[in-house]
Amino acid sequence: MNEAHLIDAQGLGKTYGSLAVLIDANFTVSAGEIRALVGSNGAGKSTLIKILTGAIAPTTGTVKVDGKELVLGSPTEMINSGIACIYQHSNLAPAMTVLDNIFLGRQPTKRFGLLDRKRQRREAEELLQRHAIQIDLDALVSTLPTVKQKEVEILKALALNARILLMDEPTGWLAASDVAKLHATIRTLKSSGVAIVYISHMLDEIFAVCDTVTVMRDGRIISEGKVADITRPSLVKLMVGEKLAKDSAQAGKFKRMARGTGKVRLSANGLTKRGVFSDISFDLFAGEIFCITGLIGSKRTEFLHTLFGSDRFDSGELKVDGKVISFKSPTQAISNGMGFVTEDRHREGLMLGLSISNNLVMATLRKFHKFGLLKRKEIYSATGEMITDLNIQPPDPIKPVRLLSGGNQQKVLLGKWLNLKPKFLLLDEPTVGVDVGAKAEIYAILRAERDKGAAILVVSSDLEEVMTISDRIAVMVSGRLVAIHDADKTTLAEIIGEIGGAAR
Amino acid sequence: MQRRPASIALLAFFLVTVGLFCLFAPNFATTSNFENLMSGFSFVAILAMGQSFPILLRGIDLSIGAMVALAGMVAFDLTMLFHVPGYLILPLVLIAATGAGAINGILIVYLRLQPFIATLATLAAYRGVVYAISGRLLIPKLATTPITDPWIVGIETYFDIGGALGISDYVHLPWFPLSFFLMIAIFITFQLLLLSTKLGRDIYTVGGNQEAARLAGINTRRITIFTYAISGFCAGVAALVLVARLTTSTEALGTGMELTAISAAVIGGVSLQGGIGSMFGPVIGAFLLGVVLIGLTLLGASQYVQQILTGAILLAAVCYDRYLVVQRQRRAAANVGANT
Amino acid sequence: MIARWNLKSSAKLSKLAPYALPLAIVFIVIMFSIAEPAFLKPENLIGIIHQMNLIGIMAVAMTFVIMTGGVDLSVGPVLAISGLTAFFAMDAGLGLPIAIAAALGVGILIGTINGTLVAIFGLPPIIVTLAMLSIVRGLALIWGGPEWHLIRDQDAFTFIGTGHIGGISFSIILLLVFAGAVMFVQKRTPIGLIVAGIGENERAAYLSGHRVRLTKIAIYGLSGMGAALAGIVQSSQVHTSAAVYGEFGTELDVIAAIVLGGTSLMGGNGSIGRTLIGVIFLGVINNGMNILNVTLDIQLITKGVIIVLAMALSELT
Repeated sequence: MNEAHLIDAQGLGKTYGSLAVLIDANFTVSAGEIRALVGSNGAGKSTLIKILTGAIAPTTGTVKVDGKELVLGSPTEMINSGIACIYQHSNLAPAMTVLDNIFLGRQPTKRFGLLDRKRQRREAEELLQRHAIQIDLDALVSTLPTVKQKEVEILKALALNARILLMDEPTGWLAASDVAKLHATIRTLKSSGVAIVYISHMLDEIFAVCDTVTVMRDGRIISEGKVADITRPSLVKLMVGEKLAKDSAQAGKFKRMARGTGKVRLSANGLTKRGVFSDISFDLFAGEIFCITGLIGSKRTEFLHTLFGSDRFDSGELKVDGKVISFKSPTQAISNGMGFVTEDRHREGLMLGLSISNNLVMATLRKFHKFGLLKRKEIYSATGEMITDLNIQPPDPIKPVRLLSGGNQQKVLLGKWLNLKPKFLLLDEPTVGVDVGAKAEIYAILRAERDKGAAILVVSSDLEEVMTISDRIAVMVSGRLVAIHDADKTTLAEIIGEIGGAAR
Repeated sequence: MQRRPASIALLAFFLVTVGLFCLFAPNFATTSNFENLMSGFSFVAILAMGQSFPILLRGIDLSIGAMVALAGMVAFDLTMLFHVPGYLILPLVLIAATGAGAINGILIVYLRLQPFIATLATLAAYRGVVYAISGRLLIPKLATTPITDPWIVGIETYFDIGGALGISDYVHLPWFPLSFFLMIAIFITFQLLLLSTKLGRDIYTVGGNQEAARLAGINTRRITIFTYAISGFCAGVAALVLVARLTTSTEALGTGMELTAISAAVIGGVSLQGGIGSMFGPVIGAFLLGVVLIGLTLLGASQYVQQILTGAILLAAVCYDRYLVVQRQRRAAANVGANT
Repeated sequence: MIARWNLKSSAKLSKLAPYALPLAIVFIVIMFSIAEPAFLKPENLIGIIHQMNLIGIMAVAMTFVIMTGGVDLSVGPVLAISGLTAFFAMDAGLGLPIAIAAALGVGILIGTINGTLVAIFGLPPIIVTLAMLSIVRGLALIWGGPEWHLIRDQDAFTFIGTGHIGGISFSIILLLVFAGAVMFVQKRTPIGLIVAGIGENERAAYLSGHRVRLTKIAIYGLSGMGAALAGIVQSSQVHTSAAVYGEFGTELDVIAAIVLGGTSLMGGNGSIGRTLIGVIFLGVINNGMNILNVTLDIQLITKGVIIVLAMALSELT
């Protein structure tokens, strides 16, 4: 690549116990370069980023900035050498002005700790001028649209003299029209000599704004090159790799049950929530697994909540078993036989301090009491069975869920809803943070429920998972369903294309 | 400063309330009544400003009443038992009160206690210390002897501003108590601190987004301890004002004052969500509370009604604060929505 | 089996945690009895329970509130106003059952208002109940004035606080029955599990189909009822009712007892049984200090220190 690299990482590796998550990665970026970093979940992108921000120290390897070797694993060292990261979530103080946020925690001062307002403003204006960014310095951050808030974060990083900006899914929460605005900003940064590492799943964005691309897979950097030299299909192929292509072919050995028993259980017709999602229509059949895939921020979680009654849609019609209905509360959805395995098991799913058994009956207490008295024997036998059925480890009903591994926690969450004998099961990213073994077990459970006749709706960003378990696949982009396929009549490449391509 | 329109609305509401009471409450629009108001609520405003600092950090300080008693008793002991000269007593009392406040902060930061439980515990403990060090209990005779130290008693001085300006023939101005000017001085100092120093910015940052503050390298622990120390300091000043007025101190001094101070701060727009508010609001809030309470008394309501009203006003203020929060969340949601 | 489910155990250390408090009580009892043998006399031990009777009732009733991460600072004035209600009802010639029902009803009403403001309007419990503390105290003072009202010729009412059944004083039986009832609700009905679930993770409880708001309103109502019951017992014990009863600091004792019993102020697991142990612990300390002639000041300081220590230990383990 270029002669003088701004950042030069050689031989980076990271292992946790016997598990290698990053293997011998060489990664270099030059000033004024916009580098795309792509790869599917678990490819090692986030590990690489964490090393570069100093959040973790690598097991092997070195990082040099401007030829100077850095002490790794220290956030301060990384900031001081000019590496900054714009995270997906906001790190601003919303009630303060743009000017104050740019200098958060290090406002220039005169004597007695008095703020040097003039200097602060002068420096900020210089910064704006140098990078040709326009923003009202006196506006409160909370009043700014999201894309402007991103710019404030960028300015905050630049005020720290950042020359290398890592941007993690920077358009994740942005509307399509704002993506172009952010890209314009990024290009001006490039012309002022900043190096940018752009992490995104959105292929269109990569082709629109990036100069070069690094592809990661299974913890390795497998390819690097100019964006101009690569075509979209070949990039997809690189990302997916032979293995997944083979796996998803192998998944064919499971019977696909598109449209299940042929009986419509749930029918969405033009469901719309203003500013969130619009015009979503599909039928969900008994005995099928219907996957909605897409990127983070494509509003799939929000959509599930409106089905479950924990949020409302504005217009459209929802039919459940042929009856037009809109659930007013989760209580009502549950009494209609609907279960919802939420995405964030710690925040929305489990009571971590309570026991496995208490968590397993949490959604179905009404089945376990008579005249207001708990039927303790039945709870005991039902939870015991569930623990055996789901192979929850350790099989100790009084163990607090907090002490379980991620996979076992997820099985508890799943079991909580299986106790309902659900007619409908909604699952949001059902295997996030779950190890391979537990994943396979969870898939087997879902297939078993499907074969019992449940209508299963899965939201997942993990394409491997989508290709493995689904009977039908829908693609959601920015709050719209752009396509619905029978799983055995589509290919991974087609799905990836639709996810990344139809953004605009 | 971030909510200038809200501040103006509050001031307008305050003036309208004053106007209404002037029209309808007998003897409200008199100079002596305004003297009462200023002398009776300047120290409340001081306490409210102090209380605002913990609230800016999403905390709360329930112990200020006990800290007032503690500071008051320290002043009492120093002058009555040890005959320390007044010019030394004033700084010593303020140091003691600030220290008591800092202990609250230390408990919260290093023992990771919730602010309300930590200050509830010190509320009991400080009150206990007051009994323990009470010179009144030690030598009962002292309980009836007034404090005469000119430095302390001097705090209860009134200034005839109108006379000094030579305009008393034309307008009848009330005499201003020294505590009013103390309040103004503290107001200016704190407002300057919050708006024009790095420390002030850091306080807003920690209150607004603690994680962002930590990532920006702000020492959030030190800031937290500092805010509780400020609350203690204000309790010390209020104690001196009260001791000067009563020319003595009691073990029960300051009981229930946390309620008034929290009310005034919340009425003044210091959000319980943290990171929002200035010193202007709590001062207006305190005097608004004063005008309502005094006005209703003049209209014949008993002091018990005042207690009810204080509670009701606090409830109304926190409802309004909550309403603003919901509004902000809606606007933020609409912001995102508008882009799609 | 199920009883054990509610045990909290996060680290190895906390396996000992359930026994820490009983052990501490035993240790303190030994210390006090060495310092002052009179401490162990049966009448003194019964005295401890008597002293802690009111706190015990209120602590049992407030445990659920604390379990959901809330707090009720208004119990003191509620105690006072219910005592007054009972007095005025009997003074007006109404029968004992009506007087008691009215007193309890006032407590439940105030608690329900607290609960509504917290659950429906989303206001912070500390501020709501602090405001309510002031409002209710003001109402009580307007209604009852600052003076004591002597309760005369009400044998049945007096029995509540001073009577004995089989040698055990009725007020203690009342506490045990009340605690037993609440404990039964916690252990044997879904409510205990729902309350713990709300405290652990309110959002998850809602998404599991529980009526979170209704439950919260109900448990604040229970807390109000507990304070009212304590008010009745106190008025009966001292044959008077007054607006100034339940003075500032009562709520501190109640919260201290619950916290000492191991219920986290952040919400989550808690147990009525352990709250009672917390009450006994506080009682032993108070009584021991009285017997040793420790002055009020040291008692207050000790109480503050104990709360801080108990909280700090539960946070750090």
